[in-house]
Amino acid sequence: MTRGWLGGRSPCAADAKMAPVRGAALAGCWVVLSRCRGMTVVARRFGAAAYSSAPAGSSKEGQQEEAIARRRGRTQQFVRSHISPRTEKMAVDQDWTSVYPTAAVFKPDSVPLPIRMGYPVKRGVPPPKEGNLELLKIPNFLHLTPPAIKKHCAALKDFCTEWPSALDSDEKCEQHFPIEIETTDYVSSGTSIRNPKARVVTLRVKLSNLNLDDHAKKKLVKLVGERYCKDTDILTITTDRCPLRRQNYDYSMHLLTVLYHESWKTETWESEKAEEDMEEYIWENSRSEKNALDTLLRIKASENVTREELLASDVVKNYRNSVIALKNEGETENNMSQYKESVKKLLNIQALP
Amino acid sequence: MAAPAVVRALRARAARVRVGKGDKPVTYEQAHGPHHIAHRKGWLSLHTGNLYSEPGAAQRAVEDAFVRRFLRGTFPGALLAPLVLRRRGRALLVSALLGRALPPAQLLFLQGYAEALLSALYRSPVRIELLTVPAPPVYKHL
Repeated sequence: MTRGWLGGRSPCAADAKMAPVRGAALAGCWVVLSRCRGMTVVARRFGAAAYSSAPAGSSKEGQQEEAIARRRGRTQQFVRSHISPRTEKMAVDQDWTSVYPTAAVFKPDSVPLPIRMGYPVKRGVPPPKEGNLELLKIPNFLHLTPPAIKKHCAALKDFCTEWPSALDSDEKCEQHFPIEIETTDYVSSGTSIRNPKARVVTLRVKLSNLNLDDHAKKKLVKLVGERYCKDTDILTITTDRCPLRRQNYDYSMHLLTVLYHESWKTETWESEKAEEDMEEYIWENSRSEKNALDTLLRIKASENVTREELLASDVVKNYRNSVIALKNEGETENNMSQYKESVKKLLNIQALP
Repeated sequence: MAAPAVVRALRARAARVRVGKGDKPVTYEQAHGPHHIAHRKGWLSLHTGNLYSEPGAAQRAVEDAFVRRFLRGTFPGALLAPLVLRRRGRALLVSALLGRALPPAQLLFLQGYAEALLSALYRSPVRIELLTVPAPPVYKHL
């Protein structure tokens, strides 16, 4: 026999459904005892006979509802029967994708893992998962387990088309589609989908894919300046001066077209190109050539050799190659030793180390 | 230039529960001060507005403040912890930790009412998830 008392819980041995309450103060009231899984709830019901009123929905913990009577006026705590959490009823080989089909908040009674999170108290452990706000704050990926992703892929397969079989290597992709356009879409929280950064368009193309001769390539490189990378031979044009992405794309294509055509034209003032404007070192008509030939002519003054003969000779060719290598590629071990050898041969001073 | 002494004094007392005799139960959230955010605490409100060069920080902050006030009044006495707000695209997901002061039928009604009203106000889906615990989760006693 259980004693009914205000707001409390009491263990019940019998499976009694209804029992009159002891205590004169509660005369005329029926106490509803509802028994489920160990603990009982005691609720008071005024007036009419008690009945089980299961509420319309279930709590967010997924527990079943038992008979809970309506309260009137009292602000005491609503005691519900202690039902074991759903985790205890889960099979080990259950389908996890049905428990967390979409991104959802962490539900401690639905996740059968003994997770603790938080900074522990001194000589204590991190707080458990029940009522743990830290676990609610962080994003969880319980809906993205490998089986779930497999299901997503299988569902999406119907909407995908095959990659064209003719484009099976990077080189073929580059050969058929030499121009790469890069645009970025931005997703953010809030009701607005507009983001001004989304209008930026980047166009990349390899100059080897464009039909340019030597002069055109040099002129194009001079025209674009920093946008050309010598190591990868890629020209990058970034446009963001128009408010819309399509406008920026059109503008970048227009720029490419204009650059191409302009680089093929030769203006009259281009003939005034001086040695400082040259992109790479050219030995012909340079000071190095002049100095070398002058020196050799002086050395061999008695032999009556001509400049053309000297230019055609091997030693001078060797010297020319080594100087060009030094100027164009910079100073490396190889280049310096090559230069040393060529100078020794030129001036005929093999004896020195 | 340092902030005025009054401001510094106020900041030193912000969001902290003062140590007492040892009889005051505090939750994890209350026990750690604001300097523990990102070290021992997470953020109660997650959205992209606070990231570098992303728009909308102020609007999201105002929305957050209103939602917190509104739901604090909707579930009187039942909220055990500050709300956890998350935004997924344009949807606002609210996680509320409640005590069991209200019967489930009333809780569900209030949840539906709040969801409908806030969704109409903000013209974006608002979803409220309720989590009830029998008692406030005590972290330590101060």
